[in-house]
Amino acid sequence: MRSRKSANQFFWLSLIFAAAAMLLAPDNSRSQEKPNDKRAKAAAKTLFLDKVQPLLNKRCLGCHGAAKEIEAGLDLRTRAAMLRGGENGPAVVPGKPKKSPLLQAVLRTGDTVMPPKERNRLTPAEIATLRAWITAGAPWAVADTAKPTNWKNATGASSVTMSTSGGLSADWTNRKYEAADVWSYRPVQRYPVPWNALGAKIDSSVANPIDAFIRRQLNEKQLQPAARADKLTLIRRLTLDLTGLPPTSAEIDAFLADDSPAAYSKLVTRLLQSPRYGEQMARHWLDVVRYSDTAGFSNDYERPNAWRYRDYVIRAFNNDKPYNRFVVEQLAGDELDPYDPELLIATGFLRMGPWEHTGMSVAAVTRQQFLDDVTNAVGVTFLGQALRCAKCHDHKFDPLPTRDYYRIQAVFAPVQFVDRQVAYRPLENTSHLDQLKIRTERLLAEAQTILNNLTKKKKLARAAYLKQRGVKNVNELPKDEQPPSRLGLSKLELSLFKIYNKRAAYFNREMKRYRALCFSVYNGPPNGYVSNKPQMLMPSKANRRGKPDDVFILAGGSLATQLDEVSPGVLTAMAGANDTVTSTAWNTIPNTSDGRRLAFARWVASANNTLTARVIVNRVWQHHFGGNGLVATPNSFGKMGSKPSHPELLDWLATWFVEHDWSIKRLHRLIVTSATYRQSGRHPQRPAIDEVDPNNRLLAYYPPRRLAAEEIRDGLLAITGELNREMGGPGIYPEINWEVAMQPRHIMGSVAPAYQPSPTPEQRNRRTIYAFRYRTLPDPLLEVFNRPGTDTSCARRDETTVTPQVFTQFNGQFVNDRALALAHRIGKMTTDGDKGVDLAFRLVYGRLPTADERRLSAAHVAKMTLHHRTQKPVPEKLPTSVTREMVEELTGEKFRWDEELDVMKDYQPDLKPWDVGPETRGLAELCLVLLNSNEFMYVY
Amino acid sequence: MQNQLIGDRRSFLYGLGATLGTVAFNAMLQAEERPQAKGPLSPKQPHHSPKATSCIFLFMEGGPSHIDTFDPKPKLHDLHMQEFVRKDRFASAMASGRRYFVESPFKFRNAGESGIPLCEHFEHLTGVADEMCVYHGCVGESINHPTACYHLNTGNRFGGDPALGAWTTYGLGTENQNLPSYVVLPEAAYPQGGSANWSNGFLPAHFQGTALRPTGSPILDLNPPAGVTPAVQRNNLDLLARLNGEHAQRHPDHTALAARMESYELAFRMQAEVPGVIDIDRESAATKAMYGIGEKQTDGYGRRLLLARRLIENGVRFVQVYAGGWDSHDYIKRSHTARMRTVDKPIAALIRDLKSRGMLDQTLVISAGEFGRSPDNGLRGGVHTAGRDHNAAAMAVWMAGGGVKRGHVVGATDEIGAKAVEVARPIRDLHATLLHLMGLDDNKLTYFHEGRFKQLSQVGAKVIEELLA
Repeated sequence: MRSRKSANQFFWLSLIFAAAAMLLAPDNSRSQEKPNDKRAKAAAKTLFLDKVQPLLNKRCLGCHGAAKEIEAGLDLRTRAAMLRGGENGPAVVPGKPKKSPLLQAVLRTGDTVMPPKERNRLTPAEIATLRAWITAGAPWAVADTAKPTNWKNATGASSVTMSTSGGLSADWTNRKYEAADVWSYRPVQRYPVPWNALGAKIDSSVANPIDAFIRRQLNEKQLQPAARADKLTLIRRLTLDLTGLPPTSAEIDAFLADDSPAAYSKLVTRLLQSPRYGEQMARHWLDVVRYSDTAGFSNDYERPNAWRYRDYVIRAFNNDKPYNRFVVEQLAGDELDPYDPELLIATGFLRMGPWEHTGMSVAAVTRQQFLDDVTNAVGVTFLGQALRCAKCHDHKFDPLPTRDYYRIQAVFAPVQFVDRQVAYRPLENTSHLDQLKIRTERLLAEAQTILNNLTKKKKLARAAYLKQRGVKNVNELPKDEQPPSRLGLSKLELSLFKIYNKRAAYFNREMKRYRALCFSVYNGPPNGYVSNKPQMLMPSKANRRGKPDDVFILAGGSLATQLDEVSPGVLTAMAGANDTVTSTAWNTIPNTSDGRRLAFARWVASANNTLTARVIVNRVWQHHFGGNGLVATPNSFGKMGSKPSHPELLDWLATWFVEHDWSIKRLHRLIVTSATYRQSGRHPQRPAIDEVDPNNRLLAYYPPRRLAAEEIRDGLLAITGELNREMGGPGIYPEINWEVAMQPRHIMGSVAPAYQPSPTPEQRNRRTIYAFRYRTLPDPLLEVFNRPGTDTSCARRDETTVTPQVFTQFNGQFVNDRALALAHRIGKMTTDGDKGVDLAFRLVYGRLPTADERRLSAAHVAKMTLHHRTQKPVPEKLPTSVTREMVEELTGEKFRWDEELDVMKDYQPDLKPWDVGPETRGLAELCLVLLNSNEFMYVY
Repeated sequence: MQNQLIGDRRSFLYGLGATLGTVAFNAMLQAEERPQAKGPLSPKQPHHSPKATSCIFLFMEGGPSHIDTFDPKPKLHDLHMQEFVRKDRFASAMASGRRYFVESPFKFRNAGESGIPLCEHFEHLTGVADEMCVYHGCVGESINHPTACYHLNTGNRFGGDPALGAWTTYGLGTENQNLPSYVVLPEAAYPQGGSANWSNGFLPAHFQGTALRPTGSPILDLNPPAGVTPAVQRNNLDLLARLNGEHAQRHPDHTALAARMESYELAFRMQAEVPGVIDIDRESAATKAMYGIGEKQTDGYGRRLLLARRLIENGVRFVQVYAGGWDSHDYIKRSHTARMRTVDKPIAALIRDLKSRGMLDQTLVISAGEFGRSPDNGLRGGVHTAGRDHNAAAMAVWMAGGGVKRGHVVGATDEIGAKAVEVARPIRDLHATLLHLMGLDDNKLTYFHEGRFKQLSQVGAKVIEELLA
């Protein structure tokens, strides 16, 4: 990233030199070349407006203009004042940089050094700018007011003034951008496919346009693409990319045996039709929207049926819902059709961020927190532009005024939270709800009984107290003789009263699952949420009428300082989105309570929107190329983001995508059938490539990737045959590290009920996407392999290699259990040593071992089996209760209580070492090694 | 066969196989002399000469009351039990409505030669008061526990950003490659907000805090499952190295493979080294007694502080130790007495111990909670419970060791302790100061993420010069 910075600097420098050369030229030929002279003057004025004035504003005017006390009497706000100078004479001598004290000061060669602090010294590019401008006569100019952005001649380094709703200062409003930095705001263009890059005789009806664009840039660097990958590599790559699971042996055999030209195409079709496809795509999407089943912060309470949104996303991908429709449904499904349950579920997107309101929160602040969150989330998710940077000030780098930030926020001002009653649909998996409900009701009743008994005890003690004093009512007693409210309870019981109160509250919330609620929104005036209200029901019609909150620009983002009031709007820098004349322009958002989001959503989901299609096309691309997007920063398409490696391809794909009904599946097919996708990860010219293109952005070879956290867990379960492919429904509870499961989880005033895995292997060994996701209790197996947290949007997973991964994968119970299950599976198929090794390799790698590998592995199994014959594993008992300890706030002393682990009483463990013989345990050692190996962990 | 495959830890180490094992063993021997070459955690040059090379952060979770610990407010005696009503759009439900002032139930003494005011229950701290720099100017923003904890730990109230310890190890690396660089010693229950309090955020995962758990396996899955002998592990490792080696030959240009193979070596060095480092029974009885180990009230915290010293001594860069239970809304006399007595003796021992080993000069010790407490309290169902609610405008912060003033009080709160008024500075300034003391410049310690260079202070900050020695 830093290297780009210096590349930018180089770019700047060359621009300045070019400008300087242009400016110097007319000096030598002043008398003759009139038109040139004119052009040079114009260029010098442009230089002043684009570079010099912003530079003076930023670096000098703090002391020499803007402040009340002007330093050394030197005012740099006007040309006249600058020429007049201060205490030490004129600051600038036009045309004579060497005699201009201003330039000498910034060069820091003489006595006067400016700016005074070393760390503020001007960059060489800035100094060159000043010199060029002084040389050209130091002309002054006044900026024109903003006109619609003129994209016509804007290329690369040329500068454009962006037409926007306007900054907080005129300087910002009129500042210029290098066209290359605002590329994502210019209209998407349909470039011709450079077929000739593929060679002279290309049949464009069969060739893939992607390859033409990729090849053109490879040709420019005189690089060749890699050869096609072998079929085994291809089926593993494609199956993992599209479904998140490894191919089965049968699938591999079928593909390898199919020599027909259509074999690959058939494979693509099969995978895109697999229900596993939607699960894999949803995983990517949920990373971006920060999906969680809980709310985070102090209580981390369960959200009412957040899983319905998760399943909606899976359905959307499996049904290939057009992406523009997908966008509108999530932003404004309730406005589109308030009677369509699917659309009400979709709006869960708006509430996905962490959010909590308690007695310690300020209502105005938590409300603003939501508005800020949703504003930024919409920008990041759909527009590839974090909007948060413009919350306190006009954007430093991008044409994003604070006014736009609050105008977009105003789109969401009517949004209020509601847990809507939306009957379960036949396609939703509610098959486990009855069973879950019985448990929740039981646990709730148990907590309630304890509370009732304690209350009864208090009442009895109080009655006895009153009786003893011969009165019937407390108020008959003088104040200092009235009994304390805790009378009758011991210290411990007092503490326990609070603990069980919280426990009851927890299960009360869990009861919401069984009421077909959905996590949704409605439009209306502020509804004044009550602290920790367990449920937000739809208010009456009367209470939904009325004006939504007005939205103001907040100075410095502070609620206490409101500036202008704003009306709802869009990102105005976008080409064509700052039409302030036409009342029906596509950027017009009504100011009514209903309809703001729908209009905004349609603006987002429009083919005219210069960001939406580019952003999603890039996301899909990145998942096929080892996490490398055409734009390497998929949530950040602004100046500071990465520039597209293949801008014309990106645009071509975006237009193609829109023309093909925003179909994600068709886009996948186009990408994965390209030669670029199907090429090998190995390249004979690799050292040469590494010199020219060290990050493989030109894609001369296929970039390998590590399995994602979920692909590791799901893949292990698939390989052992334990994976239950059931889809949808409330979150399941996988087995996680027991110590973490039993560790107390702090919730306000108490400890959350213990994490207990689902009781049967069938229930818990489902795909990871169906696992209940707590914000404050990540599964350590997944976390250690870079599954992101749920507080900030994740556009691209990290692939770091850290030591705790080894502990998890080599020592941890989950992987050891899978190794045993795999050995058990193999043991049922063969008892022959070599055949067992063959099967293990086939199941884990999809191939047979080499002779060397077979010999080594068989010897290893034999040796280990011999060892295990001498070992008798000792069965381990699972805990059935756990002791909790807390500090009582009232006394500062510790107290303890036991929590029963109800699920553990009838728990069916997975297969354990003491369930199997030494042969299986011996073979399991080999399986553990294979499941830790690099060949399993990487996709080529 | 049995003897060959069942060995103790020593034979596991010395008997490592010929392939990966030898490499690991050699690397381990070398590691004692010099840190490993260029990993993300290898030691890096600081931005300027550091005053402290390591940091122990004592996190007092729940919000200790400055008014009842380090910042006596006699004025509250005059106001005691006076009622008032607060109505404010920017006040929480907790801070609104009928309220009354509460005087501190504690006596204070002027400790040491410097005469720093200390609560009567800080008996042992009295002896090290001249090492302490108490700071009354720190100002937070949030009065909700998890958001305030996130703020103090990560500079961002909403979680998800890298913690101070992550930034520090990102900037400096660590001296001992066989131990985690950034260690957190939580209580059995994690603080509110959970492990996001020591998150690496957007920094690479190498900089995440490693929680050394007080019970069970100190690091998750540090040891193999029950019944797996070191020799079996060694055999498995050798086979893994062979298979990975052949795989690497088929993918010679894939550099990630070597790093992953190496992580297995490092894991087993760590597996061997960690148990020794965390075994506080290697300390003398006198040292253990000094930390209050074996005494009911101080045992748990004393163990964690002694462990903190051992970790720092063994090259860990940043250790954060949690002590919870400071959330005294009611009956602060009882609850804060117990809390102070829990931490008093161990902290005094830590400072003495560091000093006697000549480590205090290079170790920065800081103690802070997520916020302070209010001079007033709300009525609980009409009852006066003599406690204090949350207060982000003033808090109990002190520092000792590397580069901070000794025996000083810096800054001041108003006459009732409601808010900081002198040297009043936001948390980001405290962060910049801590980084500065460790040789790092907040403005230079940046990481490019989501379209901008991010830094701990988020928006830039100023070092609190008044705290520097």
